[in-house]
Amino acid sequence: MIKGYAGRVLEIDLATREVAWKPLDEDVARDYIGGKGYGTRLLYDRTEAGIDPLGPENPLIFATGPLNGSVAPQSNRFAVVCKSPLTGGIGNATCGGNYAYGMKRAGIDVIVVSHQSERPVRLEIDGDRDEVRFVDADDLWGLGTYETQEKLGKKLSHAVIGPAGENRVLYAGIVSNERIAGRTGVGAVMGSKRLKAISVTGSRKLEMDDPAAFKTYTKEVRELFKDHPVLGSSMKRFGTGGIVNTTNGRGILPTRNFQKGHFDDAVSISGEYMEDHELVGVKTSCIHCPVTCGRDVEIEGKGRVKGPEYETLALLGSNLEIGDLKEVNVWNYLADDLGMDTISLGASLSFAMELSERGIWDAGIRFGDPDGISALIEDIGHRRGAGNELADGTKRMSEKFGGHAFAMHVKGLEMSAYDPRGSFAQGVEYATTNRGGCHVQGASMYMESTGPLTINPQNLKLKADIPVLMQNNACAINSMVLCIFTTYGMIPKQLHEMDPSSLSFRAISKVFENLGPMMRIAMGVKGSPLLWFEKWLTYITGTTFSSGHLQEIGGRIFNLERMYNLREGLTGKDDTLPPRMLEESIFDTMDAGHPLGELLPRYYALRGWDADGVPLRRTLEKLRVEV
Amino acid sequence: MGIRVELTYDMGKAIGEHAFELDAAATVADVVEQTRTRFGAGGEEFAKLARVARVAVNGVLVSHREGMKTKLADGDRVGFVKAAAGG
Repeated sequence: MIKGYAGRVLEIDLATREVAWKPLDEDVARDYIGGKGYGTRLLYDRTEAGIDPLGPENPLIFATGPLNGSVAPQSNRFAVVCKSPLTGGIGNATCGGNYAYGMKRAGIDVIVVSHQSERPVRLEIDGDRDEVRFVDADDLWGLGTYETQEKLGKKLSHAVIGPAGENRVLYAGIVSNERIAGRTGVGAVMGSKRLKAISVTGSRKLEMDDPAAFKTYTKEVRELFKDHPVLGSSMKRFGTGGIVNTTNGRGILPTRNFQKGHFDDAVSISGEYMEDHELVGVKTSCIHCPVTCGRDVEIEGKGRVKGPEYETLALLGSNLEIGDLKEVNVWNYLADDLGMDTISLGASLSFAMELSERGIWDAGIRFGDPDGISALIEDIGHRRGAGNELADGTKRMSEKFGGHAFAMHVKGLEMSAYDPRGSFAQGVEYATTNRGGCHVQGASMYMESTGPLTINPQNLKLKADIPVLMQNNACAINSMVLCIFTTYGMIPKQLHEMDPSSLSFRAISKVFENLGPMMRIAMGVKGSPLLWFEKWLTYITGTTFSSGHLQEIGGRIFNLERMYNLREGLTGKDDTLPPRMLEESIFDTMDAGHPLGELLPRYYALRGWDADGVPLRRTLEKLRVEV
Repeated sequence: MGIRVELTYDMGKAIGEHAFELDAAATVADVVEQTRTRFGAGGEEFAKLARVARVAVNGVLVSHREGMKTKLADGDRVGFVKAAAGG
């Protein structure tokens, strides 16, 4: 077995209650690493086209990678893969907490949960004894994620759902500690199986090819992170909320259902404000992570809980025109406890507000008014009244009530909190990302509008190139499985600290903007490992991983996801942005919206796809994507 | 209406206000100068905090406009923006 892997796949059939321990497919591990990549390969191979995402045929795949179980910073995340009930295409999400670490300690790389249980059930897995217990979960059914985990205790590592998953809210997530695999409705699939929780334990240690080199180098990386302006300072002090004032200043903070990109009260929902007024501590770091981006706040009647992160502050704050952090703290807690994605939740709420504003349909909530929002969030989680409509997300709501032009989703997945009209590469990423409108499948915005570089985010230069490189990179990172925030470290401290008005800084930005082909060539070179995650993979597995290797593997995963989506009926026509993003300008520098039509052909060409967005045969052969 | 000026959080903390209105300013340079005066004599603190900020007009960095010479109109928003953050 390749070092870094436990070598075992655990197959669990909830209908028959049969269990099988199978060897990990080493060829798949070599080609797809693990995590999202391995899970996508399994999903593609094991399912027929057109299955019901909430039916028994949809497997729920929990997958770790070779970095999980180590002490590498930001490395304890697991991926969940299945067909998405929200988009009808590829569904996946990754999650921190301690569950990934628990799976590897139990000696398990991948858990495949098949079919459905008749009654609520939970699983207890002891990897040391090769034992899987099916435990009646009637007593936990209906409980929130906080109480569920409290009752399950701290001896095992848990992945659980809350009422939103049980009630098949289409954007329900799966929770570990206070972190959530939030996107694409993976929690609804778990709920459809009547699976309340999986708990794992074991005492196996991760075997590495070169543990001494790994240990020495990891110490260096910890120092590097400590010194980094984003990973060691901004995120450590302000959490991800430290970006609110930046996106607001750059005009890309979603406000009033993306009608605007600037919110006058943004300061009062920012990470800096949170530090000064609401922060009671930091206890919610993922295991072994020195970045500690989690914030703790106090909620009346609940005590100390995890505070909101950036996407939540934006989608439940500015996007609803709410500038009261205490309110957002409460809604964030409710969403976490019910177990649902705050991005899709926030966008669904803002869509309902605009429907109401236009006199189309009234869910009883208004922009700028917190009244009724807490109750509606509870109703969404339990699918009651108007909440039952919002529980289906913006795409389905727009199909039922109208409002397609301002339904802020891509492929059915609600867009994250970076308005693409001020971040063109991010717009291309939203449009083309296989799971839909998401920012953590590439994070292109960091290269153009939220990072230290000052390239113009509103011209066409490099805006099709950046997403390809970043999506490939993210596919690899989500397969190791590492936190996407690690990409922020790719721009070194020195660049952050340069005077932006200096000649040398402006020269670097200009060179970066004009050297797309060179960048692709440089990142495609299969040489020696350079970045920390390339070195970790190399030290752990004994196989050399460089940027070129990861670009190739990432491209393979991305194209397999693409082929899955095409198989499920999605087409190039789904590579688009909401009409509001394409037609309405919010900048005095632009007459219209995002110029996606001008960028998409180049993106397809760079990908090796035809004009309809279908991967060419030679592209699939070159990347060895078997379909 | 005037010009709305928004500061980075640290700049705002230093002078006790995160945003303010200027009655008039012809260019970004004028706004920068008027903002500097709010930090008191010497301007060292302003220089220190402004060094890590970008300046944007209505969300677009002035480096993509006419720099400090960028002309302003009534109702414009000039922001001092923290250079980089992760989210």
